[in-house]
Amino acid sequence: MKYDRVIIPIALLLFINMPARAADDNLIPGDLMNYIGFGAVVFALLLIIIVLLVLLKTTLILTRIILKSEGYTEQEIAAEIKPQKAVKKAKGDVWIKLMSLRPLSEEKDLIIEHAYDGIQELDNPTPAWFMYLFYGTIFFAIGYLLNYHVFHTGQLQYEEYQTEISQADIAKKAFLSKSANRVDETTVKLVTDPAVLSSGKAIFKQNCAACHGENAQGVVGPNLTDDYWLHGGKITDLFKTIKYGVLNKGMPTWEKQLSPKQIADVANYVKSLHGTNPANPKEAQGTKETDDKLASK
Amino acid sequence: MQPEKFYYDNKIVRNFGIATVIWGIIGMTVGLIAAIQLFHPGANMNNQYTTFGRIRPLHTNAVIFAFVGNAIFMGVYYSLQRLLKARMFSDALSKIHFWGWQLIIVSAVITLPLGLTTSHEYAELEWPIDIAITIIWVVFGINMFGTIFKRRERHLYVAIWFYIATFVTIAVLHIVNSFELPVSAFKSYMVYAGVQDALVQWWYGHNAVAFFLTTPYLGMMYYFLPKMANRPVYSYKLSILHFWALIFIYIWAGPHHLLYTTLPGWAQSLGVAFSIMLIAPSWGGMINGLLTLRGAWDKVRDDVILKFMVVALTAYGMATFEGPMLSLKQVNSIAHFSDWIIAHVHVGALGWNGFLTFGILYWLIPRIYKTELFSKKLASFHFWIGTLGIIFYAVPMYWAGFTQSLMLKEFTPEGMLKYPNFLETTLQILPMHIMRSVGGAMYLLGVIVMAYNLTKTALQGNLLADEPAQAMPLEPLHAVAREASWHRRLERKPIQLMIAALVVILIGTFIELMPTLTISSNIPTIASVKPYTSLELQGRDLYIREGCSNCHSQTVRPFRSETERYGEYSKAGEFVYDHPFLWGSKRTGPDLAREGSKYGNAWHYNHLMDPRLMSPGSIMPGYDWLLTQPLDTTTTKAKINAMRTLGVPYPVGYENQANADLDKQAKAIAADLAKDHIKVKSNKEVIAIIAYLQRLGMDIKANKTANK
Repeated sequence: MKYDRVIIPIALLLFINMPARAADDNLIPGDLMNYIGFGAVVFALLLIIIVLLVLLKTTLILTRIILKSEGYTEQEIAAEIKPQKAVKKAKGDVWIKLMSLRPLSEEKDLIIEHAYDGIQELDNPTPAWFMYLFYGTIFFAIGYLLNYHVFHTGQLQYEEYQTEISQADIAKKAFLSKSANRVDETTVKLVTDPAVLSSGKAIFKQNCAACHGENAQGVVGPNLTDDYWLHGGKITDLFKTIKYGVLNKGMPTWEKQLSPKQIADVANYVKSLHGTNPANPKEAQGTKETDDKLASK
Repeated sequence: MQPEKFYYDNKIVRNFGIATVIWGIIGMTVGLIAAIQLFHPGANMNNQYTTFGRIRPLHTNAVIFAFVGNAIFMGVYYSLQRLLKARMFSDALSKIHFWGWQLIIVSAVITLPLGLTTSHEYAELEWPIDIAITIIWVVFGINMFGTIFKRRERHLYVAIWFYIATFVTIAVLHIVNSFELPVSAFKSYMVYAGVQDALVQWWYGHNAVAFFLTTPYLGMMYYFLPKMANRPVYSYKLSILHFWALIFIYIWAGPHHLLYTTLPGWAQSLGVAFSIMLIAPSWGGMINGLLTLRGAWDKVRDDVILKFMVVALTAYGMATFEGPMLSLKQVNSIAHFSDWIIAHVHVGALGWNGFLTFGILYWLIPRIYKTELFSKKLASFHFWIGTLGIIFYAVPMYWAGFTQSLMLKEFTPEGMLKYPNFLETTLQILPMHIMRSVGGAMYLLGVIVMAYNLTKTALQGNLLADEPAQAMPLEPLHAVAREASWHRRLERKPIQLMIAALVVILIGTFIELMPTLTISSNIPTIASVKPYTSLELQGRDLYIREGCSNCHSQTVRPFRSETERYGEYSKAGEFVYDHPFLWGSKRTGPDLAREGSKYGNAWHYNHLMDPRLMSPGSIMPGYDWLLTQPLDTTTTKAKINAMRTLGVPYPVGYENQANADLDKQAKAIAADLAKDHIKVKSNKEVIAIIAYLQRLGMDIKANKTANK
């Protein structure tokens, strides 16, 4: 087929570009139903391939017509379109040397007399480079075992893990000592800064709304807008509940998923929802608590 | 001496050929449906029999054992007769083999969607079918050796060495990996537990690839490629070297599927070291094939059949280079559990097995029907759409695997996971999953075109059911001159050759399996790990039935990104009562080893009913039938007894109070759900599966509290 050398590179190129673009444009996150987008990507891709094939064919035909109009014969045209044939022979020689093969002309001396259902075998030696590859992998394998199990110069998985954790701890401490991110359940303050609340709102929608409801009215988790609290209603209590979770009640631990600043933001956002009286509230759970605005100030 | 006249049996070859094409189309269609479910979970029609967890095993079994399996028998039955100059040993055995194998596949098609599964990958079929497989495999063996014994060719050609190694090794693999204790007609528990079970399973799983997808195909390549190209095999010496090296080294490589798990470190390292040494022996086959085409490359340009063979060999070379690279632990830590592995196996399956099969079918069907191929154009179309299909399939999956793995490992400077919500990484790769199903559909289209082309070919010709042939009878052995080379002598002794192959594959098997299975210090126990309660055990069996482990792993690797995300890394002692182990091999969803008490019961109830209620955008299917189907508690007693037989320390007499216990625990969960306004009877399946999910990882947490 004359397209052998064209189709595969083109398809490869398209693929390398395509997923990157799709990822950057955020085609779907949150919106699974955006099938038109997917369809368009697939369609465009196929279209490009078809167009390229048509273009290729057109170029070939045009070349043919132009050459013909210039008085070339069929053979000359074929030579123009596929000129690389002559070069191939030289390439073959290099290949044969590289692969440490014997020239085809010597083949008749190598034929083993026997044939199986007409299949003959040659008495070629195993190629030298093949044997070097084999010996190389054997040395690697021996080296690998020595490295991990005899000289203990390589770390096995649990040591590797300790190293990874201690390095991460150092990096984390270094970073946190420079930033204002060091809030915890004893130092968190109640604020009404709109920037904090809007950041808190975004975190709430993404992580909390599934259980507590879009408006914190309570679904699986309790209502967060009323006066009743199961684990304390002060900002410090909220911070603690979010950070460590209440495992037997189904409240997950968020310590690993949200940074201290994010926990403080969402706790403040929840505090700001107090008394908003959303629709379909869940019944009161826990004990009634008075507002802690004064207490924490 | 007079040449003897005899007939080759072409009908059995034709039958296996038809089965290959039909099961190929079925298996690939199921694969396509499964692929679509990964971005459109509604594609299971909200039907429990077609969820991803149940049809993914159906896809793998259909493609491996039905498509490739029948193709192997087609190729072996065709080439064996001609290489030995003899008709198959027994027509009756050939028929039993054919129909027995098809029945086994039909039983797989029925039982897997019903959720009857052992959960061992590529060995999901339950114990009665395992026995049937053993019987039919032995029938195949008798038929093959019977033919070998009545041969008219003194020496066995390299293709037959591969067939013999395939036969004997698959027998060993299948039997050892099917040690299971039946509980009822279609339910059994694996004899090994936890780490041991995992090692046996992946020793099997890896060598199913080696001895079902590789060695028989190399044997077929050695027969069909020289025939198609009309060229001598490049190097007899290379054949000998790579055959013995391949079967010896392959058997050791299984543990590379368990890197960074609780498998002892020495076993992991052996797996890696031998995987690296596999490169050259694997490539030996590719080199010998490609160099056989030396001087015939002008034919490759025009002959679509040779094109299929060249792509097959190239795909084989790529996959067998990639495999050892993936086994390096640094690469494995990124690639394992990701779509990268799916891409890797499909380069092998679609490229090597698929294309080699197509090449053989296009070559063989016209020959046994004494006609020409109906349409070379259609075959050429098949080649191009198939090649494009492989690229469209593999490239997006590589991309997806790489993207998701790196996202899951990324940390913010504050030391938090950048994408703490697993789902975020899933949504990121959905476009790639869509591209992959387009690639799969293209490949399938090619196969359908081939089916049409081959049918037309068969219709225009006439099957030569008994092909006449003649050959000289074997001379008595004393008349044969003694050969200088030991291998040449071995080639005329089939039984010795089989025993030699068996010994070679048993060396690695014993050295790797025996210590882990017998030396207790390899699996340190943990005092706080207790057997599952009767309700949790029933829930675990539902987890197996629904095929949850096809998408969720249950083993936390010792990486910061995993211990931050899931909790403490897994310990070998946690799995000692897990018959079978449920570590999984792919994380389409998050790991569940530490799932217990992460969420409330109500969260799990709602999430199982419709995952999108609790995780918007989730691609997990809903399991609302769990909410309505009552739990079958008649099996509880038998299950407890079976577990005790396997060494799980249930107290004496527990089997009699097991159901009362189960009832009590179920009522407590139902009461807890009632607090969240969820009204559900305590006898529903969902209660059991919640109980199991809430138990996961709790024993080791209990241990921590006790130590404090």
